[in-house]
Amino acid sequence: MRNPWTRTGNYKTSYAQDTTIFATYSEQASLAVFLIGMLVLPQFLSRGDMQILDLILIYALAVLGLNIITGYAGLINIGHAAFLGVGAYTAALVAPYLPFWAVLPVSGLVAAAAGAVVGIPALRIKHLYLAIATLAFQLIFEWAVGHSPALEQGGAMAMPRVVFLGYKVGFKNHHYFWYYVTFVVLVVMAFGFRNLLRTRFGRSLVAVRDNDRAADAMGMDPGRTKVFAFALGAFYAGVAGALYAYWSRAVVIEDYSLMISIKFLAMAIVGGLGTLVGSFFGPAFLELLDINMETFSYWIKTIYNPPGVDVGSAIRPLAFGLAIVLFLIFEPRGLANWWRLLRSYFRNWPFKY
Amino acid sequence: MKNKWTLWALAAVLAMGFAAAEKVHIMWSGAITGPTSDAGKYYAQGIEDYCSWANDTGYVSGVEFVCETRDDQYNNANTLRNFEEAVDRGDPVFLGYSTGGTLQLKPLVQEVGLPFIPASYHIGNIDPPDNDYIFLPIASYSEQVIAVLEYIAKVSPGAKVAMAIHPSPFGRAPVEDAKKAAKDLGIEIVEVQEMAKGLDYTATLKRFENKGVEYIVYQNVAGPVANMIKDAKRLGLGIKHAGAHYAGGPDLLRLAGDAAEGFLWVTAYYMPHEDNAAARFVKELGAKYGRPADTIESVHYPSGMLAAAIAIEAIKEAKDAGKKISSESVYQALLKMNWPNKLAVGPVTYSKDDHVGVDQLRVLEAKNGTFVPVTEPFSSELFRKVHYGK
Repeated sequence: MRNPWTRTGNYKTSYAQDTTIFATYSEQASLAVFLIGMLVLPQFLSRGDMQILDLILIYALAVLGLNIITGYAGLINIGHAAFLGVGAYTAALVAPYLPFWAVLPVSGLVAAAAGAVVGIPALRIKHLYLAIATLAFQLIFEWAVGHSPALEQGGAMAMPRVVFLGYKVGFKNHHYFWYYVTFVVLVVMAFGFRNLLRTRFGRSLVAVRDNDRAADAMGMDPGRTKVFAFALGAFYAGVAGALYAYWSRAVVIEDYSLMISIKFLAMAIVGGLGTLVGSFFGPAFLELLDINMETFSYWIKTIYNPPGVDVGSAIRPLAFGLAIVLFLIFEPRGLANWWRLLRSYFRNWPFKY
Repeated sequence: MKNKWTLWALAAVLAMGFAAAEKVHIMWSGAITGPTSDAGKYYAQGIEDYCSWANDTGYVSGVEFVCETRDDQYNNANTLRNFEEAVDRGDPVFLGYSTGGTLQLKPLVQEVGLPFIPASYHIGNIDPPDNDYIFLPIASYSEQVIAVLEYIAKVSPGAKVAMAIHPSPFGRAPVEDAKKAAKDLGIEIVEVQEMAKGLDYTATLKRFENKGVEYIVYQNVAGPVANMIKDAKRLGLGIKHAGAHYAGGPDLLRLAGDAAEGFLWVTAYYMPHEDNAAARFVKELGAKYGRPADTIESVHYPSGMLAAAIAIEAIKEAKDAGKKISSESVYQALLKMNWPNKLAVGPVTYSKDDHVGVDQLRVLEAKNGTFVPVTEPFSSELFRKVHYGK
């Protein structure tokens, strides 16, 4: 007998049932509780905590985009921060003339256009060669911004203060306001991400990733699929870039450097490549790890600080590298796999399947 | 009798309360690890030691400084987090670091009105807009480069000069002002070359040679500069080298060795081997707080000290004026500051229209493995004309 609240067996009899987002009512209910929890969460957090939470959500949006390109389509992208940067600089240019809610999609679309251009080499090359092409885009982006007087040559472009429904966003409410904006955007775009695999295009992404010749033989267009993947992933990054620009109040080239691209890849790997929850877990894990290691390194300094060797300061970057290496060795499927195991543990015994 | 003891106890508690020093937090956010940490770690140590010295000597009566040096890893998001934490805590002043981090924070610094003293001497930090609360400890990179061009024009009239700059706002900032100044000085800037982390500059140097370049002026950090001057020595070129504050110093001597001989360096700080009160003070503090020789030798150590010293002096002046220590009172004290400090070659002076602390600079030359001054402290004659049109 099928219980609509728990998974006690596999009762799926059609493709539509197999692709359903929510298998049980309890999944729907837990998501509703989670969303309500996230909406009331700012009531319990300080302004400083909100700043960190905002950053995690913005990075999560960017990592969702990276997961479309690298996770779903299997195209290694070392220039994702540049897509973020395209969105941020677009936001800085158009923000004086448009309301913020219009700036976000415009930034995403410009980044998507850049993504489509970067995706063109994917028509002919793949694997390491494509990775180098994305690296080239990252370097071209940094060079172009650095030599554009209209973009302050990489110096700061201040973002205008936002007034929403007569509500002026200032220092005290800045992170609260952008939390809700980012949260709404993230929920909408995460649903888009989740639904992607239920579409023909989404399934093409995975098919092309697994074997592009076989996908071609089955009537898919691998080249167009790859270009679309870059464009869509860059759209996510562009929106994230615009949010980051508003969040940080100014656009500076250093925030969109190669190091940030590598950080996004690390987040995607630690979270779990090609997974929705991994896109949240990765940024949250690495950002919170960094903050906690910062506290830990100061503590180490107070108890052990030999002259000439700054052990405390060394621990922090070491932890970042170590986390990535350990995940690659012991859990290449990332935190998303732990989440999967945790969920399966709570399925009703003895009816687990 | 019981009431008498109660009164005594109350009086003792009150006395202890009055005697307890007021804790004043000063936070620095900079790179102790990551890019530019070769400068940042010494800068942080300078801040820590000056604060310790101020506490140990009771420099500001009734105040205990709690100085935190935060490693932001040259990541602007971390800098922003640290800055906002300082604002939330009610710190009266904040010590910054990188050019990018400072430029990004400018609108926020203006909004919250917290005085900000960066380690970046980028002129854009104190140019409008949003420039009311940012104070440079010493003259800007633009002024430093123009000062060294003035020196070059004096010793080699009509010289051909190339600029080798860092590919960032930090590197590019002085270029336009330098070009204008060169025109006035009758020297020619034949090329501006961006240089990052190259390991071989043969092609660039040979091109400079073909263009008849006599001097290369660097606005960069010591690492790439050392690579280029070593290549110039290897190629046997007769080109002379000169640079702004972060391009030279003992770090360059350590990295470039013999190749640094003759390097002209402009800065506002004294060298530890000099026989003066500033050098003695730096060495004394370094020894007192157990710093190794490379820390004491580094110019970034007194640079960090000066940033902390300016902040502490402003707090002292605010307190001496009978005001509550706050961002506003420290800001007002900074605007009136005219302090003959013991760390740099000139006094720290600020006003509403002047947010540069030490206006004077010296040109030093690398001779026998050490930098020796070849000029007295001077202010650039042309900088204000070319940058502000005054």
